[in-house]
Amino acid sequence: MAALMRARSEKRAARRAGETGRRVEYLAFGLAGETYAVQIAHVAEILRFPPITTVPRAPETVLGVISVRGKLVTVVDLRRRFALPPAVVDRKSRILLCDVGTGEQIGLLVDDVQQVWRLASEEIEPAHVLGGEQASHVAGIGRPTASEGALLILLDLRPILESP
Amino acid sequence: MAEGGGGRGETSDKAREEFFSEAQELVDGLGRDLLGLDEGVKAGRVDPELINDVFRGVHTLKGLSGLFGATRMAVLSHELEDVLDDLRLGRIDVTPAVLDLLFQAVTLYAQLLAAQSGEAPEPEREVEDLLLAIGQLSQRRSGGGAGVVAHYELDPGLLGVLTEYEEHRLRANIQQGLALYRIRARFSLTTIDSSLDEIKRQARPLGEIVTYLPTGSGADADTIDLEILMASRASLQTLQQAIVGPDLVIEDVARRVDPSVRPARASAAARVASAETAVVPAEAGATSAAPPPDNGSVRSFVEPPAGPKKDSLAATPGPPAAAGSLRGPGLTRELSLRSASQTVRVDIRKLDRLMTIVGELAIVKTAIARLTDRVRRRAADPRELSIELARLNRTFERHLAQMQSGILEVRMVPLGQAFDKLARIVRQISREHDKEVHLVVTGADTELDKLIVEELSDPLMHMIRNAIDHGIEPRDERLRVGKPPVGTIALNAFQKGNHVVIEVEDDGRGMDHGALVAAAVRRGMVSTDEAKELTQGEMLALVFMPGFTTKEVATDLSGRGVGLDVAKTNIGKLGGVVDITSDVGIGTKMTITLPITLAIIHVLLVEIGAHLFAVPLASVEEAIVLHEDQVRTVEARELLTVRGTSLPICRLARLFGLPPADRDRHGPFVVIARVGARRLGFVVDELVGQQDIVIKPLGKSLKGVRGFAGATELGDQRIALVIDVAALIEEVLMPGEVRFLAAADDSGRTSVALDARRRIGRA
Repeated sequence: MAALMRARSEKRAARRAGETGRRVEYLAFGLAGETYAVQIAHVAEILRFPPITTVPRAPETVLGVISVRGKLVTVVDLRRRFALPPAVVDRKSRILLCDVGTGEQIGLLVDDVQQVWRLASEEIEPAHVLGGEQASHVAGIGRPTASEGALLILLDLRPILESP
Repeated sequence: MAEGGGGRGETSDKAREEFFSEAQELVDGLGRDLLGLDEGVKAGRVDPELINDVFRGVHTLKGLSGLFGATRMAVLSHELEDVLDDLRLGRIDVTPAVLDLLFQAVTLYAQLLAAQSGEAPEPEREVEDLLLAIGQLSQRRSGGGAGVVAHYELDPGLLGVLTEYEEHRLRANIQQGLALYRIRARFSLTTIDSSLDEIKRQARPLGEIVTYLPTGSGADADTIDLEILMASRASLQTLQQAIVGPDLVIEDVARRVDPSVRPARASAAARVASAETAVVPAEAGATSAAPPPDNGSVRSFVEPPAGPKKDSLAATPGPPAAAGSLRGPGLTRELSLRSASQTVRVDIRKLDRLMTIVGELAIVKTAIARLTDRVRRRAADPRELSIELARLNRTFERHLAQMQSGILEVRMVPLGQAFDKLARIVRQISREHDKEVHLVVTGADTELDKLIVEELSDPLMHMIRNAIDHGIEPRDERLRVGKPPVGTIALNAFQKGNHVVIEVEDDGRGMDHGALVAAAVRRGMVSTDEAKELTQGEMLALVFMPGFTTKEVATDLSGRGVGLDVAKTNIGKLGGVVDITSDVGIGTKMTITLPITLAIIHVLLVEIGAHLFAVPLASVEEAIVLHEDQVRTVEARELLTVRGTSLPICRLARLFGLPPADRDRHGPFVVIARVGARRLGFVVDELVGQQDIVIKPLGKSLKGVRGFAGATELGDQRIALVIDVAALIEEVLMPGEVRFLAAADDSGRTSVALDARRRIGRA
């Protein structure tokens, strides 16, 4: 009985330690049926899809520019960036206004925004588990223990924002 | 200094700003005065007033820098003050070497100011070097030719009361071969100030008033007799005609009989004058208007003495001043001519006008408030209301437009601000290079946005540097080919519509197209095959490529392959273009065409496909309807004949790869744009209208996209991209040049960029 009690309290302590310990918050979003996530600290704002102005001769991944409170922001279509099949913008589409301190905010078009995950370091697998040459923007794979079977592709925004 | 200003509030910041702007102005003024002095030295006639001006400027700087804890600057000023005092008093002579030191001080002041505002480290070593050189200078004090005064019949009593400065001026004038005159005049005590000023004004063009002293023999209590001692090159008659007044007598001061002391340069006029003595009756002088000064020998001295408004400058050849250590300030750090101060001085009348407009706007506001109130009380008839509103809107628009142009006007400063600094650079570089260069400036009063003027100084400096180093030949070579030994660089500015054109022209050896291409091939910038395809214009454009140089060995001044490319890039950032023409043996001309202002621009909105674009009206000549049957194709380029001249056209939809819109159009139209000498017609689907816009930059991520100056919001959430007319014209009309620049933009991906640009160029 005492052993059982101890085991339970240890489990609770472990959970609390996990909750208060070194966990990082990730914002999950959908893209062509998969779930991706970026550190929430890098997301300044989530926007509905506004009128967008295409920029001729811009890189193919660039959807255009929008105005966010008087400031021009370049919007990158993440599907195009990851060479995924194109999609139509619908009412679930969102733009994540991202900022990794490169001096420029960039909007990323995603299919929909899902939820925030708090991941401990043991819930994150390094990118090389995928084997072979990984794209530089994949930071790792998130496997939140709280949700059986959930799989998050964690993105490193810096390479995406530096060369959209 | 940082520790002086740290931790204090806004007032202190404001005061510091004042300090910067005032110090900057003083330093600029110093530069101008020194150039005047330099010219005087060359002409063999130094204007003492200029030395005084420099002295006063340095003195004020000393006070200012002390006040703001700029210790190094204060120390420098203090030492300079001593040197200038010696110069003023003739203890040391004004020589090119001394001027070198002073010019270096001006450069150092600029650096110290930049350091004060935290933009750069303090030029510690350079200041030490300069202080050392100044120290050496003061040890070389000379007596300045004492004794020559003794050769004149001057009252010893008079000589006894001269100040050291006056005594020096007296000596200096005699040494320069000027004759001495004595003006005796009687003044009424009530009007003495204005009468004396009048005499000074009349005497100024003819010579220098050394001193004036009361003679003590006034006729009565209300008058005073002054004896004015004046040195002049003009003859007695000329003086008597030019300087007139009641009770005024001019005579020359007799020379003691001793021919050996006659200065070699005494003019014929002075000699004649000293041979005779004439006294003009005061009444006659007063009634006859002074005739224009004689021509001939006197003419050149009648010109106003070298003043701050300089239009020419020549540098004497000779070894650079003193020891090698002195070369420090100019060369050890990358020289920039930009001011440390961001301030614009504004004529109070301009501000008054703005204030008046604000008042007018307040009236409009009151009217709107009244109207709002009537609407709330439903007291207004809708028809009447709309008329009233329309009227108010018109008034409001008019005042807003006035306000806008008024504020833009406040931002405008004369280009002379940049040119003055350039004159200093010409002197410095030509001396370091041992070449004689004469800078001729026209249009220094042309006004441009303060921001542009500031950003222009450095590109212009690079161009002038290039002209002196590569353009102007050494003296011997110039003489051999039959050119005047002194080279000329012309700096011309003028306004042309909404643009300002600045030309930098030299009469040097010109650019050899073959040599340029060979150098580019040698440096691997173009392949031998590509080189064969280059047009003349493209060959000249090679000089704007980063890293380009024809020199095998780089000098301190140029040849390092930086400079012109930076100049071109910076001018491009200001929305300007550079054109270059050159004739071997005759010279090179670079023409910069710039918009007058950057702040708010007036644009023509056009539609291409379903997209909206803005074309700055400053570069639009007109818009016409395109008749497809009038388009001719010459060498794969579409041409239109507009009023008898050919106009190349560019279909923007094709260039931008935009699909045609499906709805009906009035167009297509051709928007005829011109930048500099180049014209191009942009084919668009629809003209939408005109609008004033504030241009916003596209983000860093779109930096590589050429052809757009930025974008603007149109007020209804729509965004229109603003077409960079200059860049597009260049791209379409001179694809070769664009290709090179693009290739050089990113040296790591040269071939990729090259191919990409080729594709765009042919799109």
